[in-house]
Amino acid sequence: MAETHVMAIGVDTRAATGIPTGKIGVWWFLASEIVLFGGLIGSFVMSRLGSGGWSEMAAHLSVPIGTINTFVLLTSSLTMVLAFAAAEKGDQKGMRTWLLLTVLLGLAFLIIKGFEWGSKIGAGFTPMAGSFWSFYYTMTGLHALHVLGGVVVNSILFLSALMGLLRGREHRVELAGLYWHFVDVVWIFLFPLLYLSWSRGGR
Amino acid sequence: MSSRAEVEERVSFFRRYVFSVDHKMIAKQYLAIGLFWAVVGGLLAYLMRWQLAYPDTEVPGWGFIGPEFYNMLVTMHGTIMVFFVAMPILLGAFGNFLIPLMVGAQDMAFPRLNMLSVWTLALSSIVLLISFFIPGGAASAGWTGYPPLSAKPIYTGINWGLNLWILALALEFASFLMGGINFLTTPINLRAPGLSMFRLPLLVWMQMTAAILFMLSVGPLIAGAVMLLLDRVAGTSFYLPQGGGDPLLWQHLFWFFGHPEVYVILLPGLGIILEILPVFSRKSIFGYRPIIYSTIAAGMLSFTVWAHHQFISGMDPRLAMPFSLTTIIISVPFALIVFAMIATLWRGSISFPTPMLFALGTLAVFLIGGLTGIFNGSAPVDIYIHDTYFVVAHFHYTLFSALFFAGFAGLYFWFPKMFGRMMSEALGKLHFWLTFLLFNAVFIPMFFVGAGGMMRRIANPMQYEFLRPLQPINVSITIASILLLLAQLPFVLNFFWSLFAGQVAERNPWQANTLEWSAPSPPPHGNFETVPIVYRGPYEYSHPSVPEDWLPQDRPTMPTLRQSSGQAAAV
Amino acid sequence: MARERVHPNYVGVWLWLVALLIASVGVTTLPVPTGVALFLIFGMAVVKAVLVALNYMHLKFEHLLIYAMAIVPLVIFFVLWLVLYPDIALH
Repeated sequence: MAETHVMAIGVDTRAATGIPTGKIGVWWFLASEIVLFGGLIGSFVMSRLGSGGWSEMAAHLSVPIGTINTFVLLTSSLTMVLAFAAAEKGDQKGMRTWLLLTVLLGLAFLIIKGFEWGSKIGAGFTPMAGSFWSFYYTMTGLHALHVLGGVVVNSILFLSALMGLLRGREHRVELAGLYWHFVDVVWIFLFPLLYLSWSRGGR
Repeated sequence: MSSRAEVEERVSFFRRYVFSVDHKMIAKQYLAIGLFWAVVGGLLAYLMRWQLAYPDTEVPGWGFIGPEFYNMLVTMHGTIMVFFVAMPILLGAFGNFLIPLMVGAQDMAFPRLNMLSVWTLALSSIVLLISFFIPGGAASAGWTGYPPLSAKPIYTGINWGLNLWILALALEFASFLMGGINFLTTPINLRAPGLSMFRLPLLVWMQMTAAILFMLSVGPLIAGAVMLLLDRVAGTSFYLPQGGGDPLLWQHLFWFFGHPEVYVILLPGLGIILEILPVFSRKSIFGYRPIIYSTIAAGMLSFTVWAHHQFISGMDPRLAMPFSLTTIIISVPFALIVFAMIATLWRGSISFPTPMLFALGTLAVFLIGGLTGIFNGSAPVDIYIHDTYFVVAHFHYTLFSALFFAGFAGLYFWFPKMFGRMMSEALGKLHFWLTFLLFNAVFIPMFFVGAGGMMRRIANPMQYEFLRPLQPINVSITIASILLLLAQLPFVLNFFWSLFAGQVAERNPWQANTLEWSAPSPPPHGNFETVPIVYRGPYEYSHPSVPEDWLPQDRPTMPTLRQSSGQAAAV
Repeated sequence: MARERVHPNYVGVWLWLVALLIASVGVTTLPVPTGVALFLIFGMAVVKAVLVALNYMHLKFEHLLIYAMAIVPLVIFFVLWLVLYPDIALH
């Protein structure tokens, strides 16, 4: 028996697969980002393998700073997913707190990165100083742009939550979280590739 | 429903035509952008062809063209046709217009993202347009932009023109990435009740596959383009050998995207034909599922063939055989699709209105294009014909079939739905025959010129002794190409005249089955008066159990049919 | 938006991530051959990524379609890596 109900504009909540539409959209976006970073990282890995390792250049990177930054980003992933968990439970205050922490940790990452770049450039290691540095700035730069984008999105979510606009729309925290975790995963690979992959003498 | 009409009335001019989130208006915006650039691209072709036929003479209506300017013509003609005509029209216009209608949805899954995508393309167009007018001129390193030529401004003499070219492409990629998210999410999740994936029209499957190919192949080129820009403006050496870089890296990154890209263009064109052939054969598509599986197989294979563009690039020779192999293999699924199309026609009740003529033209032209692709795909042969006009003829056969013949087929076919009016049949037929005959007159001789050794991208063939005997062929190609451009005038006339004064179209003038024909012509905001419920697949033509020779997807199953047939078969 | 699934132990996962981070850095101080060191470091990176993907991005609980959207791009860029290797890595 055919149902006949009039379609109200803008209220189309169909989900033929049962998966929320927004989640499918974000994952398609992430799929394209996986290939983007994969291509860039692949170019770096292959170029590095073909050129003797660039170890002398890579040795100038500061492992402690890189480690701290990795720790910052990992922790921000935790705070992001805790924000989502709070949102699911209806804990508005918890969601706001964790979102704010995520934003702050993201900013911390960017600030540390900026400081790191500044000190390297000051020491003469500009993007033109050698292939390793060209790749280093391109890869961390593209990643940092993505972190910045995530910080902006999370800030908007935080402000929306503050103004009570997120009620009924908490799934947006999950979607923003998917993007944020992806950015974290990229760094999980960038960190060893750039900071830990050089061979020391005698190995 | 009166309140909807009231809502439509109250929307301002800007909200309706400029900042619209309605997929149908966005589709028309994409179409407008594509048609604008088609005129520009055609003009550039005219200039190129004149220079080739009558080198170093003044082009009528333009002036003198030197070799540097010729390089710019070649570059921009290719860039414009692929990125600013083919993609906006085949994906942006047809995809956006048809996907929500064919799946029975009110709009795309993310309407505001959709609007952002077309605005990004508009911005990209402006950037590209500006690049023509800045000192030094527009990009001139080929649409493929190979370094080292493209990596240092001093090599081409072009500085900001090429930088803006890179920027325009980056914006275009971003636009279609955004569009792709909609093209995939909408059919996955917003299908009407009863519309399973295997009841979707083939056009939707083709658009989805094209979107997946684009989304998963463009990333490395975006990375590569960033690196190229840095080489140009920041003094890095990703691609410059003197700095430790490798020009081959660009070639791999470019063609890793570039090859799937040609299928991104081809598949929507095939999708259009697959919708039109059954309608004018009054017969179901032959091999619906095999076509889908072939499309998926071709899509997967398309990621494994790209280095057939690089056989003479100096890449590792051991890559030649595997890539020849995959290239030959990929012809199999496409051959299957072509055979399925022919089998669809076989013993159908065929009629020949303009959309059908263009659909058949697509088939014929694509056949030649595909067959000549096999020559190119075999490395030993390609070593001779690479970078000659043989390749140019090949890709014009494949691209033209997908973009122009299929595109026109689609425009003539869906014009009533998009604009609520019918186009003139007489002008349409004139347009078809002129285009079909003149297109072949332009490009068949090109195979011979290419096999005779004429290289691509040279501004003056007369400079080469061994090419001088071929010059009469070049002249005849040029004359035919000018006539081909002029042959588009009946279409332009037809299109604009019909927009305002064409016969008012009914809901389903072609008596077709897919869901868009159940909506009014043109559909209002929200598309359907009631939610369509789907009972069957899209190609139930000449079904024995109903008197008409068509059976729409959303017509309810008739109870009496069950009694008379004695089976509980769904109709 | 109610979910019936059980939440992973987010803090527990984080502790593992930090531990693996410290271990990765630690490996660089060990007197092992470069190849072994790189294998360990990248192996741990893969484990960290998988932990984040399965637990924080909830891939453990998601529909097969979502899994496919995560896996297929990975396969595709490995094809690119495979072909870049002879040309770029081996010059």
